[in-house]
Amino acid sequence: MSFLRFIGFSVVRAWQGFWRNAMMSLAATATVVLMLVLLAGLFIVIAGLNAGLEFIESKVAVTARLVDNLSDAPRERLIDEVEALPGVASVAYVSPARAMQRLEDSYREIGRELDLGDPDSPITLFASLEISLTDPDASGDVGRALAGHDDVERVLTKQAEYDTLLGVINVIRTVGLVGIGLVGLTVLFMIINTIRIAVYSRANEIEIMRLVGASDSFIRWPFILEGVLCGIIGALIAIVLVAAIWDPIQPAMVTVFQMPTAVSTQFLTTVSLLLFAVGLGIGAIGSWISVRSYLGAGR
Amino acid sequence: MTSLLRRRARTADPDAPVISMVDVGMTYPNGKVALADVNVSISSGDFVFLVGPSGAGKSTFIRLLIREQLPTAGEVRVAGRDLLRMRRRHVPALRRRIGIVFQDFRLLPNKTVAENVAFALEVTGATGIQVRQRVPQLLNLVGLHEHAHHLPTQLSGGEQQRTAIARALVHDPAILIADEPTGNLDPVTSWEIIQLLIQINQLGTTVLMATHNQEIVNAMRRRVLALEGGHLVRDEAAAAYEREY
Repeated sequence: MSFLRFIGFSVVRAWQGFWRNAMMSLAATATVVLMLVLLAGLFIVIAGLNAGLEFIESKVAVTARLVDNLSDAPRERLIDEVEALPGVASVAYVSPARAMQRLEDSYREIGRELDLGDPDSPITLFASLEISLTDPDASGDVGRALAGHDDVERVLTKQAEYDTLLGVINVIRTVGLVGIGLVGLTVLFMIINTIRIAVYSRANEIEIMRLVGASDSFIRWPFILEGVLCGIIGALIAIVLVAAIWDPIQPAMVTVFQMPTAVSTQFLTTVSLLLFAVGLGIGAIGSWISVRSYLGAGR
Repeated sequence: MTSLLRRRARTADPDAPVISMVDVGMTYPNGKVALADVNVSISSGDFVFLVGPSGAGKSTFIRLLIREQLPTAGEVRVAGRDLLRMRRRHVPALRRRIGIVFQDFRLLPNKTVAENVAFALEVTGATGIQVRQRVPQLLNLVGLHEHAHHLPTQLSGGEQQRTAIARALVHDPAILIADEPTGNLDPVTSWEIIQLLIQINQLGTTVLMATHNQEIVNAMRRRVLALEGGHLVRDEAAAAYEREY
């Protein structure tokens, strides 16, 4: 019961303190919103690019174009050889007819008809082996093993695309985290300052609390909760903003990043939880630092 | 009134002093000696005046008693507790056994009389029922029940000091320390405050009053502790205010 009384007392005092010092509290809350919206943006972009990376990984990692008119026996031998290579998960043969069918399908998907020109001189596509890997890093070794093979005309790997996307993700992640780190420091400073002003503006109350025998918890926790309140209110506003722009973003997540709809719906929940946790955490850390600094010498 | 301030035989040994200082010294980091070789023993139920010129060490004396500062030498015991060995987490419990009032009242200007008194209970974890019972009792004791909903700015100096005394008594303390409680009051109001302090003392609360008011000290004829330059220069029962400093 006494613990509940303490919680009730602290929450009420924190709420009163938030509005008594409204200008500073709202400014700190606004910076929390800014930081969390940036964080959400970064999280969404990086998660999307990671999904794209997984999409590339899940697709054929190495394609070996076969020489023209390769008969069944050497082709089967080649497949056996490739399957025996380290890092290879599976090998699928794509005939020229199947390759043509895929090309036509891909044109149809974007609403166009494939024009093959003169029907008297038909175009023939290469036959190929599509090789899936258990480890994306093995694509270089597999590609090199096939490059000199007599039955292989040309080797295509996704390594270059993979490396490019990975590089882009790393740059975005680094720049984003540095940016968010700087905004985070600003938020921390704002919260520390807000609580510092709250502590100074209530110096008389704090002195009386000490003199009448209030424990440190009763003196400190209302200020800590006041900072937490800035963080939580900022997080809730940021979550509402992200949810509001989620509908236009979701198709992009699905089409641009190849992120399945089910995953992207669940993703909003994950982003919301992240924003709430970060908002609460930064509010608590900021106010804790402030209380430690400005009430630390409490007697 | 007896139901409000319980007559007390609180310490395990009823003859044990409620305040005890043995060879107490206090030297600040800048070298200023605030107290030196002070030996004082105050029994439960005493009414004691602490006198001395400005800078004599009265404020330091009081700060040591409420453990706002620790002495650089000697031993201070209050209500049976050794303040030097006391852990910080036990200080709030000590301060609930000591009520304190100041010359400048130190009331919260945005709270009413009742809220100022209730505040001291709320911040120490009292229940709503306890607050609703205790506050009117204390306001009756100090004669302020009709002003319960007034802000401090709507009160006279005497009424503000009564509010401060009511707040100091919320935990039914063993000791009431009054630091120049009449310093901002006219003579008539000062006497009213003194009468209230006597009434509280008669119910068993030890009262230590720091003052410059010669008239009051001479009229009361109680024990006087005189400080000068950090030294206890006089400790005399039923004494008068003397200009030995």
